[in-house]
Amino acid sequence: MNDVAPILDVRGLTAGYGDTVVVRDLSLRVQAGKCVVIIGPNGHGKSTLLRAVSGLMKPMAGEIWFDGERVDGEQAETIAHRGMVHIPQGDGLFADMTVEDNLLMGSFPKGSWKDRQATIERVFDLFPIVRDKRAQRARTLSGGERRLVGLGRGLMREGSILLIDEPSLGLAPVMIDNVYGAIRSIVEAHRTVLLVEENFTHIGEVADEVHVLETGSIVRSGSLEALMADRTVVETYLGVL
Amino acid sequence: MSAAVSAAAARVGRLPRLSGLSWTGIVAVVAIVAVVPIVYSNNYILTVMITGGIVLILNTSWNFVLGIAGVWNFGQLAIYALGGYGAGLLMLHTGLPGWLCVILGGLIASGISVLLAFPTLRLYGIYTSLLTFSFASVVQFIIVNDGSGFSGGSFGLDTVDGLYPGLGARAQIHAYYWTVLALIVVATVVVARIRSSRLGIALQTIRDAPGFAAARGVNPLKYRIIAFAISGFIAGVAGGMYVSFNQSITPSVMGLTPMSIDVTMLVIGGLGTIAGPALGTTLLTIIQTSLVDYPGIQLTILGTILLLIVVFVPGGLVGLIARVKSRVSRWVSEGEGPARGG
Amino acid sequence: MSSSDLVAIVVTTIVFGSIYGLVSIGMTLIYGTLRILDMSQGSMVMVGGFVGWGILTVATWNPIVALIAAFVVTFVLGTFTELISVQPLMSRRGEIDFEMVTFITTFAVAIVLANLALQIFGPFQKNVPPLIHGGVSILGVHLDYHSMLMAFTSILLMIGLGLFLSRTRWGFAIRAVAQDLDAARLMGVPVGKLYPLTMGLASALAGIGGVFLGALYFASPTSGDLPLLTALIVVIFGGLGSLKGTLYAAYIIGLIQALAIVLVGTTWSLPILYGVILLVLIFRPYGLFGNPSEARL
Repeated sequence: MNDVAPILDVRGLTAGYGDTVVVRDLSLRVQAGKCVVIIGPNGHGKSTLLRAVSGLMKPMAGEIWFDGERVDGEQAETIAHRGMVHIPQGDGLFADMTVEDNLLMGSFPKGSWKDRQATIERVFDLFPIVRDKRAQRARTLSGGERRLVGLGRGLMREGSILLIDEPSLGLAPVMIDNVYGAIRSIVEAHRTVLLVEENFTHIGEVADEVHVLETGSIVRSGSLEALMADRTVVETYLGVL
Repeated sequence: MSAAVSAAAARVGRLPRLSGLSWTGIVAVVAIVAVVPIVYSNNYILTVMITGGIVLILNTSWNFVLGIAGVWNFGQLAIYALGGYGAGLLMLHTGLPGWLCVILGGLIASGISVLLAFPTLRLYGIYTSLLTFSFASVVQFIIVNDGSGFSGGSFGLDTVDGLYPGLGARAQIHAYYWTVLALIVVATVVVARIRSSRLGIALQTIRDAPGFAAARGVNPLKYRIIAFAISGFIAGVAGGMYVSFNQSITPSVMGLTPMSIDVTMLVIGGLGTIAGPALGTTLLTIIQTSLVDYPGIQLTILGTILLLIVVFVPGGLVGLIARVKSRVSRWVSEGEGPARGG
Repeated sequence: MSSSDLVAIVVTTIVFGSIYGLVSIGMTLIYGTLRILDMSQGSMVMVGGFVGWGILTVATWNPIVALIAAFVVTFVLGTFTELISVQPLMSRRGEIDFEMVTFITTFAVAIVLANLALQIFGPFQKNVPPLIHGGVSILGVHLDYHSMLMAFTSILLMIGLGLFLSRTRWGFAIRAVAQDLDAARLMGVPVGKLYPLTMGLASALAGIGGVFLGALYFASPTSGDLPLLTALIVVIFGGLGSLKGTLYAAYIIGLIQALAIVLVGTTWSLPILYGVILLVLIFRPYGLFGNPSEARL
């Protein structure tokens, strides 16, 4: 066990919709500055886990500790103000707002709002494509561009953790390279990241730790190399090579 | 998808299969209400009951379109008024017998209601309410601003003879009382029968699962037009009874105030249920009558009740009674047998 | 058509269109953000009228005070209305017909407000003086300063609302919530505060409109009915939830009314208006700019 208190500490989380339990009794710790990746097939609770952690869904049981405080049961907006940044599946962009306004919206918390112009320049420097599209409405962007705007928006405020939901979903391979290039630059800046992904091909570039999620529970954990060395894991969970 | 239909069918099927006890209860209530004028002949109370009864006929018709067919029609008061004006004008200008004028008034209202059905078919929920509400406002506006003397403008129609011109004042009140009671029973039975018929199931399927209804070839146009025709006729007859009993009608029977009262009655009783209009109308008529000397407070209280019921008692009184009943029966059955899981 | 007819039509269009825009734009703002049709908007016009009467006729203070007071009173009232008639239903949003239920609850608030006014002020119409007296004549058409000020203030407030939405932090938040509720919450937008404030803001615009309308039509417990109806027509015609649609609709309706008044006479202007709108709705069921899935605020 680590001596340093983790940024995010999920203890025995159970969550789902109505009577259906999707995530059951799941525990997970994310240390500051690390990039933790959860992989698992679709429908096994990856998005549900992130939605419960960020407060979009009320957990059925368990505790969520964030930055030393218990946050389960709090509203999503309250948790967001504590410094959790959740980039949801399918971007969650504001379709009729311009790219620039979408990014500025990322600076909504009071502390970030006053520095928004300086921050947006930094995001533009990080993702030059986004700068070129700044005046366009979000609904007119391509899937890859939308994903970059979503990531950029997540960087518009001070956050102690970024939750990223399936950044490669539905993108062409060349675009996935771009998006993971962007995520790598985030990880290299020592931001804490919790990323969920179905596809494991790109996570080697960013992951410090990998957990395998199956039917709502973590079934294997370790470094990507260690997991790849384990034939049963590869065959059962990561798909045939 | 078929779950939606069987759910609708289950909800529908409940009513005709009332237990013998419930039927006896209903007959007993009607019988007791019917003998009231004989044993307790207070003209004021009887007048209040007749007026409330006419509103109940109107509410039964409105509940049919709004609750059962699920069409957001807020123009029903105008249909009711038009039926009343139609009947009243026929009484004034033709020598036809009163009862025939009332029926013709119902037919006029029914025809206008059918015309109103067409635009609602293309519109989505909230647009329907806006359109029908605007329709009602236009009808009221036109009558209020009619300077030709035909409708009497805001002063209302000239005095009409009504249904029972030959009777004395006292006998007239009794006659109206029983006529209105009979019409309430007929209207309620008609709506209840329709609800469990093919037509009713089609309407409720269109309401709850429009996609499924379309896939099964249920033609919404046909069913909605029939629904509007029937509810328009009942509302028009209610209007005809209003003009006969009051011997006149004014545009004030429409507008926001009566509409707020009627909506409150329906919502408090339970929209889309059979007993709802009767429960809501009775309860609110009692409240209104006891607060008759304080007209401002009266509506303030009604508005507050409406707000509280919608927020805290979804389903109105009928829904509340059903929940209490099921809770009691569950409590009883838990006491009898071993506790069930869940 | 004579040149004075033309001037009359242009002026009437601008005056009517602007005030219609002002009393309707709040309803659009609320529908776009909360997805409810706020039937208490007419009551806010009525309350604004009574505030105008109290300050201009009873207290005989400055018109600016009346406008500010109307803004504050209706802002608070609108916020409170949201808290009692919409907020308690939010958690049951998925289970109930939210639009229908809130239509009824806000309508209930309107009933209560109208009858409280009846209790407090009585049924008689109260005279509200014009904010400025006098007028000018252009090509034989009389133009009173009050109507000009009303149009000017309405346009100014609508521009102000546009700037608020496009430039300020809370304006961003309102637009964000209108487009994607969950994403807005993830940005930290406190929806539980934003909803009441949006309804307060919308109500305050109607309240200011009420002070001006009070001078044109008196203040009385029922003086909110016609503005409510007008606002409903404007938003339905423009397309629910579309600010641009609301503005266009307000001026188009102003134009139709101006034409009807000048060419046919006042009595038939409203029925003609309804006829035109009915026709439009038959061909465009979602209004001019309405789209069931797109174009929010």
